[in-house]
Amino acid sequence: MAAASSSSPFVGVRGEELQSDMKQQQKQPSTAPPPPTMKKRRNQPGNPNPDAEVIALSPKTLLATNRFICEVCNKGFQREQNLQLHRRGHNLPWKLRLKSSKEVRRRVYLCPEPTCVHHDPSRALGDLTGIKKHFCRKHGEKKWKCDKCSKRYAVQSDLKAHSKTCGTREYRCDCGTLFSRRDSFITHRAFCNAMAQERSRIPTVGLNNLGSHLYGNNTMALSLSQVSAQLSSLPDHRGSGSQFEHLVSAGNPSPFSPPQPPPQAAFYPGNNGSNQGFSEDHQLHNSLLQSKAFHGLMQLPDLQGNTDASSSTAAASLFNLSFFSNNSSARSIGDSNNEGNQNNQILIANEFNGANGSSEPTTLFNGDLMSDHVGGEMNSLYNTSMQSESILPRMSATALLQKAAQMGLTTCGGSSLWRGFGSSTSGSLKPPSLGSGMGGGGGNGGDGLQAQMENEAHLQNLMNSLANGSSSLFVGAGGVAALGGSFTTGGLGSFATGLRDGDETKFSLSSTGSLRGSDRLTRDFLGVGGMVRSISGGMSGREQNHGIGLNALDPK
Amino acid sequence: MAPLMANVVQDEGSSSVTSSPLKTFSLMSLSPPSLSPYSPWLRELKSDERGLCLIHLLLNCANHVAAGSLDRANAFLEQIALLAAPDGDAMQRIASHFTEALARRALRLWPGLYHALDSTRAVVLPLAEAAAARRHFLDLCPFLRLSYIVSNQAIMEAMEGERVVHVVDLNASDPTQWISLLQGLRARPEGPPHLKITGVHEHKELLNHMAARLSDEAERLDIPFQFNAVVSRLDNLDVESLRVKTGEALAISTVLQLHSLLASNDGAGDPRQAQRTAPVSQLTLGDYLEKDHAANGYSPSTESALSSPFAPASSPARMESFLASLWGLSPKIMVVTEQESNHNAPALNERFVEALFYYAALFDCLDSTVPRQSVERLRVEKMLLGEEIKNIIACEGWERKERHEKLERWAQRMDMAGFGPLPLSYYGLLQARRLLQSFGCEGYKVKEENGCFLLCWQDRPLFSIAAWRCKRYD
Repeated sequence: MAAASSSSPFVGVRGEELQSDMKQQQKQPSTAPPPPTMKKRRNQPGNPNPDAEVIALSPKTLLATNRFICEVCNKGFQREQNLQLHRRGHNLPWKLRLKSSKEVRRRVYLCPEPTCVHHDPSRALGDLTGIKKHFCRKHGEKKWKCDKCSKRYAVQSDLKAHSKTCGTREYRCDCGTLFSRRDSFITHRAFCNAMAQERSRIPTVGLNNLGSHLYGNNTMALSLSQVSAQLSSLPDHRGSGSQFEHLVSAGNPSPFSPPQPPPQAAFYPGNNGSNQGFSEDHQLHNSLLQSKAFHGLMQLPDLQGNTDASSSTAAASLFNLSFFSNNSSARSIGDSNNEGNQNNQILIANEFNGANGSSEPTTLFNGDLMSDHVGGEMNSLYNTSMQSESILPRMSATALLQKAAQMGLTTCGGSSLWRGFGSSTSGSLKPPSLGSGMGGGGGNGGDGLQAQMENEAHLQNLMNSLANGSSSLFVGAGGVAALGGSFTTGGLGSFATGLRDGDETKFSLSSTGSLRGSDRLTRDFLGVGGMVRSISGGMSGREQNHGIGLNALDPK
Repeated sequence: MAPLMANVVQDEGSSSVTSSPLKTFSLMSLSPPSLSPYSPWLRELKSDERGLCLIHLLLNCANHVAAGSLDRANAFLEQIALLAAPDGDAMQRIASHFTEALARRALRLWPGLYHALDSTRAVVLPLAEAAAARRHFLDLCPFLRLSYIVSNQAIMEAMEGERVVHVVDLNASDPTQWISLLQGLRARPEGPPHLKITGVHEHKELLNHMAARLSDEAERLDIPFQFNAVVSRLDNLDVESLRVKTGEALAISTVLQLHSLLASNDGAGDPRQAQRTAPVSQLTLGDYLEKDHAANGYSPSTESALSSPFAPASSPARMESFLASLWGLSPKIMVVTEQESNHNAPALNERFVEALFYYAALFDCLDSTVPRQSVERLRVEKMLLGEEIKNIIACEGWERKERHEKLERWAQRMDMAGFGPLPLSYYGLLQARRLLQSFGCEGYKVKEENGCFLLCWQDRPLFSIAAWRCKRYD
């Protein structure tokens, strides 16, 4: 402590020479830093002749590179004398100032930075270039970046010097990190060791690590979407089955596998015994199991084509929302059941929150695929929404919030709140009252749930989402009602027709008129339609209100 | 009481059919019969069903609290109580902290009750426990350590070649950061400087502990060291007491503290005023929808326009003068770590939603790395995060200290105060990423943005680290 004042004079040029000194020091094999006493032997920089003329330049002047410009070639010079010599090359008149007869007074220069020790005239530096470099290095921006190690320098020559040795000398930490600078290495080591100690103290939960691993695989979901786009464009439904294999195989290379056998809830074979193929098709199931890693919110019904309609509908329901868009898959499945076809529907439950011990089939995206095979222009929508979903990790609180925001579940002030949030966080969560019909549907649709569970056996996948007697409070119930209605009355047909119009408004109107069940269906898809529009820019308030009004007036 | 409440809500549900379909819709969805405590299925709700349910209830409850309709808010709180649990899954935990905050907020309409309940609060929150919670947070999440390592790297770089270094810690509650700085300085190629650390904190015990701890470490590392303890709250800190001398190279560090200076008497300080502004919140949903079309991001909403002007670059006088006095010390570097969230909106609704998302992410962090039953985790959630939530939701005016703001606002503010950005270095980023790697949980990320670092959980930025220096030559 007492040595504070005595050592302070070292600051300036010592600092300047740091860059070049560094390389020498790096070559020293010693691990201990050089003892501070070493500095005392060095000459004290910035101790000018007291007679010298002290020059204080503003930063601007100091850093001006080309004050003297050649009028012929625009080359700039820092000193007039140099310009004059240059002019000679152009055969222009030139004149060098003659050395004055009397002894030139030695000049010293101040650093313009007031907090700098070299701002003090007693510590001025005798070299203009030196003070310039000092100022750049110590108080300037590091404009020059090494391409190899990204280290930045304020002075170009420093970068040049560095690039000669960059990469030739490396420090490697036990953790595998490489450093080209010894001091960075040592700083890192201090933390690395400390962290290693900390790590050994903190227990972590393996399961949750799994969750985060899964999360890292977002891109898979996106590739899925491309596959599904192909799927939907296929005219042949047999082909859709093979495409599905393709889809599955896209899932296989995923670097993780379930750490434990999935809970029974992951599969929903269905109570009506219509899924004979289920237990036989192990391979498919397994691969599906893996593909659940895409994200737990995805539902993959079997795509083995059976009827004319099924290739498109099955493809459409690839990512359907279990709560309502299941209409389509349920439709095809129901048909196939009636015809005795082997139709497996496999519901990939949400495995992400394995830590929570629960698995719920909940998907966020439904109508997207529908629109996908109806109108190609909606592919972009699909991809967009996939991306926004891929933000979701497992079913964490964040994921729940985002899901709620996307479903517009929160109603009332809530829906506007979400929108407010969406605008401040993620652009993809910005739908104006996105599907705000859903929440209400859940609220008043619960009653019909039980009856329909018994009657509509082909709705198994949806049922299972509400399995164990627990209804999904706001979400599922409305979907069930919609599902039942649409199925029994053939609402899907009108739904598909409406979709083919490619216009949400028309669609909503036409299918609204047809039947009660598809009212809800319409409403639900309106929600997604809202997303479509909001993404492409603006949805008419009329639609929104229409859907919501319907829902609100729906008798409980 | 419960059946009565149910009737109230139902009545309102039916009466509002005529007024607004949207409103009806919301109220129908929450009709209490479906949430009766006697429904067995309620307890069998799966985690994310329950989570969605809680979110729904919380937001509606917040709306009612903001609107001052306590009867309805109470009905919601009852329902939430059935689902929330401070030791359940992340959403249940969040819900319990937010309901507590909402309840406090609601109670403010009865100042007598509120203050009576609050009268022993200072005793309930002993200093040691709060410090322990912070310490646990340091251990359980990498954020504070990231802040320390990045700040220290920036300070080290700024102090390269300096022989006399003075570091001012504006929230000196934890010696961890400075121990690592001591180690880093020890390893400097040019040798360690003479180091003086000034710690500002309102509790002397913490400062004493810190002084002892740091002096030991400096002794061990053989670094000339001096600790200067300033017992003061940040908002009445006299910069003279920092004893900054000429010839010292000054660095200022503040971790999650500077926002408290944003507290000001913004018109809602006492409950009576809060009550007066309450009718403003009683907008119909239609109003909400319209308002929200107009008000995205920072554009002032109806409410904010009425309650207090919230001009983008303005700071409360106290913050301005404080930054000005810091600028007067001409630090070579000032490193600021702050919560990356906008918890300073004047309208409760905005704050509530923003806080819900923010703390959901934080609770997720804990949920992903710490077992449910961990006492440390419970302490962090209650004593640290829970207190912040309560402050954000329940307090107004001078009492509302947790006024977190996003980096862009800080940048404006610092710029106004004469500080220019000092880009954090690549090595800082490298070290931060290393640290995360050694932490071993992949959800955490460090992003570089305009020379500042954002500490993220998954893709959501939660904390920002930025370095500043005095602008002199512009």
